[in-house]
Amino acid sequence: MSHDTQDLEQEILDVLFERLSKFPVKSGTLTADTSLVADMSLDSVNMMELLMEVEDTFDVSFPLNMMANVDTVQNLADQIKLLVEKKS
Amino acid sequence: MSISDRFAELAHLRDALGAEEADPTRIVMEKILSPTEAMIAGRPTILVGTNNYLGLTFDPTVLAAASAALHEQGSGTTGSRMANGSFACHAALERSFADFYGVPSAMVFSTGYQTNLGLLMGILRPGDKVVLDSHSHACIYDGCRISGADFLAFRHNDPEDLRKRLRRLGDDAKGALVITEGLYSMLGDTAPLAELCAIAKEYGAWFMVDEAHSFGVYGERGLGLCEEAGILDQVDFITGTFSKSLASLGGFCVSRHPELQLLRYGSRPYIFTASPSPASIGAAAAALEAIRTRPELKANLWANATRLHDGLSAAGYELAAPVSPVIAVRVPSREEGARIWNALMEHGVYVNLVLPPAAPEGAALLRCSLSAAHSFDQIDAIIAAFKTVAPEVATGGAQSTAAQ
Ligand SMILES: Cc1ncc(COP(=O)(O)O)c(C=O)c1O
Repeated sequence: MSHDTQDLEQEILDVLFERLSKFPVKSGTLTADTSLVADMSLDSVNMMELLMEVEDTFDVSFPLNMMANVDTVQNLADQIKLLVEKKS
Repeated sequence: MSISDRFAELAHLRDALGAEEADPTRIVMEKILSPTEAMIAGRPTILVGTNNYLGLTFDPTVLAAASAALHEQGSGTTGSRMANGSFACHAALERSFADFYGVPSAMVFSTGYQTNLGLLMGILRPGDKVVLDSHSHACIYDGCRISGADFLAFRHNDPEDLRKRLRRLGDDAKGALVITEGLYSMLGDTAPLAELCAIAKEYGAWFMVDEAHSFGVYGERGLGLCEEAGILDQVDFITGTFSKSLASLGGFCVSRHPELQLLRYGSRPYIFTASPSPASIGAAAAALEAIRTRPELKANLWANATRLHDGLSAAGYELAAPVSPVIAVRVPSREEGARIWNALMEHGVYVNLVLPPAAPEGAALLRCSLSAAHSFDQIDAIIAAFKTVAPEVATGGAQSTAAQ
């Protein structure tokens, strides 16, 4: 993995952690392996808000249907990374 | 997740409501006295939480048409139009909608929910792009999801946000579908349709409007908010329901594109469900005729809406939007929402309690919806009940009014 893509991944995770910090986590701590639904009970509106913020931060289109492949924070970061890389 | 896990999750959702005595499933209307009154828990109650905007559910012309259709054509169609044939009444009502809008195409569906599902599942395929208002109704989201298209939300009623998201789509914006509603059912706010439509067209996108709550209520002729915004010649698809101003059960889609009719050959929610019953079609046809010929219904509705809006804001309540037939009172917390909702019931007034996530932007809403059939006495009784159940709000309002 090149240095750049690692940086990008960390940047995305940092943004997600920041945005998600206002929601309680069942186990107490938010990590990349935290499940957005099972551990955080994000409802459909929270999820949509999060995606709109992500789209604006990284200037990408993140279709809501892509969330079907997302469980953890890491999964979400991976999807966003794919979109950002495709763009450049 | 297993089925038993899912049952546990649902029980948890129910219990969360019960703890606040906020479970809407406990409301049973024991006897329907009129479009605006029912017996609930043995008490005559003013209904200001329906979608009976024009108050036509007991209109003599509507009842007569439904009853004639019932007796002449039977209680059910027992099948779908594709497999079992159309009744003349289905085709006639479709012609009436097409004539009313002055468009070549109209299709009738079995509910409003299935109308949006039917249109979206019919016209969208995986890989297609949709940009929809974030406050869109569940059936719009469901239609997008089932179709397999890529769908993104734009910020509610924000034309510049729509522009930004279309721009981001690049070449894919051309041919994308933009979806919005007319009047939004929860906050009672209306979409800036002229701006949204202009932006969609600028990018070469299709434009669809769900007029579920605005048909019969907006526009000089009652065609809805697209008529009021002057975009009838540009909007590509308009959907609506029979379950609100049309006082029945079913839905419609109209389009300036003759190709809409092709959905009869490839829309699963149209093909694989029974066609609307003759009584439902009869009632909707008579209600449509009432919208065409009795403008006083709309005038009464708006007079009632204005009276309630003025009364509640003078009483110090925070209202979510300017006057419309849906007046949403914002309350700071779920608990306070549940408390006021129950107290209103005890005063013989039924409104809708809306909790997150259905209540946009957190907190809770007490949703009032007006009817042309409300009397001014009923409106005044509703305002009085609101003042009684939250004296602290009412005093605050009186003071600020006095200070002006
Ligand atoms: C915007 C919107 N679209 C569609 C529907 C569905 O209509 P119906 O009740 O006829 O299924 C509703 C109401 O429930 C709605 O509010």
